[in-house]
Amino acid sequence: MSEDTSKLGIGTDEWVAQHEKRLQRRSGALGIVDLLNQRVSNKVRYSALGVAAIVFGLFVHNLYLLRIASNLGVFLMMTLGINIVMGFAGLLDLGFVAFYGFGAYAYALTSSSQLNQHWPTYLSVPAIVIATAFLGYLVSLPSRRLFGDYLAIVTLFFGQIFIQLVLSSDSITFPGHTDSTDITGGSNGIPGLDPFKLFGRAFKSTSDYYWLLLIVITLLLIAVVRVNRTRVGRAWRTVREDPLASQSMGIKVNNLKTLAFVVGAAIAGLAGAIFAGIQSAVFINGFDIPLLTLIYAAVILGGSGSIPGSIIGAFVMSVLPEILRVQNYSEFLFLAVLVITIGVIGKNWKKLAINIVSLIAIGYFVKALFSLSHMTTTPTKTWAIAPVSKALQYWLVLPANRIVWGNMAFIALVALVAYYSIAHEKIKPWLLPIIAYIAIFVWEDRLVADASTTRQLIIGAMLVVMMIVRPQGFLGKTRVEVL
Amino acid sequence: MGYLGQQLVNGLTLGGIYALIALGYSLVYGVLQILNFAHGDVYMVGAFIGYFVEIALGGPSHTKVPVPVMIFIMFAVSMIGTGLLGIVIERFAYRPLRKSSRIAPLISALGVSILLQNAALLLFSANIRTYDTSSFIPSTAGFSIGSVNIDSVRFAVLILAMLLMFTLSKWVNKTQVGRAMRAIAVDRDAAVMMGIDIDRVIRWTFFVGAALAGAAGVMNGLLLRGVSNGMGFIPGLKGFTAAVIGGIGSIPGAMAGGLLLGVVESLTQGYLSTNFSDFYTFILLIAVMLLRPNGLFGKKAIVKA
Amino acid sequence: MLELKKLSMQFGALKSLSELDLTVNKGEIVSVIGPNGAGKTTLFNVVTGIYTPTSGEVLLDGKSIAGKDPADVNRLGIARTFQNVRLFLNMSVIENVMAATYANTKSNIFSSALGLPGARREEKAVRERAEELLNFFGSRLTGYRWEQPAYSLSYANRRRLEIARALATNPKVLLLDEPAAGMNPKETQEITDVIGRLRAEKDLTILVIEHDMHVVEGISDRVIALDHGVKIAEGNFDSVATHPDVVEAYLGKGSADRK
Ligand SMILES: Nc1ncnc2c1ncn2[C@@H]1O[C@H](COP(=O)(O)OP(=O)(O)O)[C@@H](O)[C@H]1O
Ligand SMILES: [Mg+2]
Repeated sequence: MSEDTSKLGIGTDEWVAQHEKRLQRRSGALGIVDLLNQRVSNKVRYSALGVAAIVFGLFVHNLYLLRIASNLGVFLMMTLGINIVMGFAGLLDLGFVAFYGFGAYAYALTSSSQLNQHWPTYLSVPAIVIATAFLGYLVSLPSRRLFGDYLAIVTLFFGQIFIQLVLSSDSITFPGHTDSTDITGGSNGIPGLDPFKLFGRAFKSTSDYYWLLLIVITLLLIAVVRVNRTRVGRAWRTVREDPLASQSMGIKVNNLKTLAFVVGAAIAGLAGAIFAGIQSAVFINGFDIPLLTLIYAAVILGGSGSIPGSIIGAFVMSVLPEILRVQNYSEFLFLAVLVITIGVIGKNWKKLAINIVSLIAIGYFVKALFSLSHMTTTPTKTWAIAPVSKALQYWLVLPANRIVWGNMAFIALVALVAYYSIAHEKIKPWLLPIIAYIAIFVWEDRLVADASTTRQLIIGAMLVVMMIVRPQGFLGKTRVEVL
Repeated sequence: MGYLGQQLVNGLTLGGIYALIALGYSLVYGVLQILNFAHGDVYMVGAFIGYFVEIALGGPSHTKVPVPVMIFIMFAVSMIGTGLLGIVIERFAYRPLRKSSRIAPLISALGVSILLQNAALLLFSANIRTYDTSSFIPSTAGFSIGSVNIDSVRFAVLILAMLLMFTLSKWVNKTQVGRAMRAIAVDRDAAVMMGIDIDRVIRWTFFVGAALAGAAGVMNGLLLRGVSNGMGFIPGLKGFTAAVIGGIGSIPGAMAGGLLLGVVESLTQGYLSTNFSDFYTFILLIAVMLLRPNGLFGKKAIVKA
Repeated sequence: MLELKKLSMQFGALKSLSELDLTVNKGEIVSVIGPNGAGKTTLFNVVTGIYTPTSGEVLLDGKSIAGKDPADVNRLGIARTFQNVRLFLNMSVIENVMAATYANTKSNIFSSALGLPGARREEKAVRERAEELLNFFGSRLTGYRWEQPAYSLSYANRRRLEIARALATNPKVLLLDEPAAGMNPKETQEITDVIGRLRAEKDLTILVIEHDMHVVEGISDRVIALDHGVKIAEGNFDSVATHPDVVEAYLGKGSADRK
């Protein structure tokens, strides 16, 4: 046993002695993240963020930017909610967007001419939060005695049922009636919602919602931070760490799981109501799996269990789609990320330089082969519309049948990346520039044109890779798992 | 009576497909205790493989080989292809996570599911394809029992599903790998101590589970349902539901659960409402989880402290 | 205080406990010995509600607790440690202890979120209590260690922290599963003293599973020996240690349990 202990490196005073070393251990890009993570206090971070948000609200009047900022706010509320459910209590809630959708639809039904209900906001929003919380409670009941996996599937199924119910509730025939009633508007959604009326004013502009969100999120953050470090938060974390030990210490594990789940649902419901207010309309397709994966990707990227992580994750994941929408930005971003990735993998500047040079060489080599083979190409005029691709056209091959070639290259890329993960250390350096080249080829020839699919592919790959490489996310603490 | 019989037959056929999917969940859960979210998408890939094999053999109306041979090749290629896909998924998305927290493989599985769906979207576009079975097996072919008409495709699918399940039971009970699989499901540590090569058994489990899903995918295509990149989601949920109803980890449970679910779905669609049939399935799942948390055939889970 | 009546626990065909009778009086320290696989840990698991016994009774102060949920058993006054040490590894040392006061504290999610005075006061009291419990182990778990993650502790300290955590639930009966396992002779002596002090200062009734016969000899008022789930001997240390069945159980097992 004592042998075991020394192998783990957890001697009595070693931990303290190594504290400074641990802070500086990692070199390269990830090391900087670690360092920032440990050296800057949370108070400083939050205050800086708050000031930035206030400055933004005061000086930015561009409607588009305000929209993005408000969407970010709603998104942030959801990542904070998921962070409680998954990060603190360790539960996988895949019905989260259904609660969000429920909040949105509940607001629509109580604040529009759909059912001729125009409740005051002071009444409707609290009622919605309570109703969503109660719905969350009901959904958690069947799986509370069982494993987390069951909760995952029940909630996933619930999300699907929610969508189907909303879609088919546009012609409900109540018993005793002959005509059918349209409750949810089906796939047409419900337009023309009343704006929020709070603090004696009707919310006419996005800017009003921006300030509301800022207040709500600030309060939410304070609440979450406080709860997390006191009685209930501690108990949640024991549930995630070791439910059996937790239970043996008198903690009612099931109740705490339910509580986390219900709190998450309530936050989602509130976010949904605010979202409905901002959009002044609701449509069911906004509450489906793609949004769910986006939220999870955000929380996992930032680091589940870490509140600053959730904030950064939300920021990246809600701003990123906007950037990817513009081809030139997306191409630029892609190349930047590619180079950074190569840098992180290679760990030092020399290797990065070698890799980049080989990458460029491969490009010209393939281009030469390609022109020798007399294959037809895509006219560069139709392809090189953005500056980045204009620059790339002299280097990258552009076969005529881009879709077919792009598809094949995509398959090759996936296979090579998978192979890379298990390849011998000696082969890896050779593979890297080849993979990079194919990645650029696939990106330029296939993915740029299909932005939404690309986004999902990236998210899917990211979830898998993060779980394997850095399950704690970029800002989460390294965790020790008991088996 | 005729209507009821018709619905029952439809339900059993559908249930056969659910059962095959459910088996994959249950087998994997038995050995690894992970919920393979990507399983429904493996089923989707199986359906696509079947479709492309059909096209490669000349397409629905001009097959170059006799129809039974074509169908056999479709199944064989699809099952081997998805089986290999299963092994690949396990190797790259789950194996690196065997020593991590419980939630990590779940998220990784979610990632794989998103990857598969969108890779299919990228490669095959969003078009919905069909096997167009009626051009090589006339829909009039078939027979009747009393007033119940059973068309031959439906009949073949039902028989085939039963046959695959039978083979699986034999495989699990008679082969060395199958028995090792059951041993791991009962007590993993003991199985390791007895010298069972866990990795090999896990590979086989994924191969077999995924191959069954692939077969289910082809069956779905033969029954003239659309083949598209998102087609695996709902059947995946149903398959899992069937596995839970039967008792996750239990092989007869998965079969019974699948058949039950198919029949219930078919009856609710026939007698209550088409729009809400998934809702009833959900209610069934909830009811089973509340009343019999370990499923119809499941054993009580024992915690080790 | 704690009374077991014809307690049996069966896993499939395996009887891990059969018809076990045992009475532990208030303030007593009883040791449970026996070779590996004898059913000692199973006994703890049944008493603490992790397993529901196949048959028989567990009585605490005359009231049946068999089959109750582990959290409820703990709330009724039985706390334990685990043979394989199950700390909340990614939480800090002091948080491990503070978390265990959960059942005896009241502040809820709203009062904590709002930072109400009651919640603040309670939080402060919880922290003081945790510090006091950690100080019980002298310099081993004091001061600078409080904010370290539990995984950074040495093996012996993990065992100590687990005891502190169990104490934080305010138990009447404490079950210790191999508290000295993996400790060096000095640490073993220390833990022997600690167990004695626990009874004296905390007014506890203690049931200990232990392999180290020096510890058993040093602390026990009474010893019981198990083999294959059956109680083969009971009495003071000398009589049990020299009991022919006990000797056979250990030696007959061969190397299985020679430490
Ligand atoms: N959850 C369980 N399932 C099956 N067998 C168990 C379980 N828990 C304990 N056992 C068996 O009960 C017997 C007694 O184990 P245990 O109480 O841990 O012994 P020990 O006296 O070494 O603490 C062992 O044979 C063990 O394999
Ligand atoms: Mg033991």
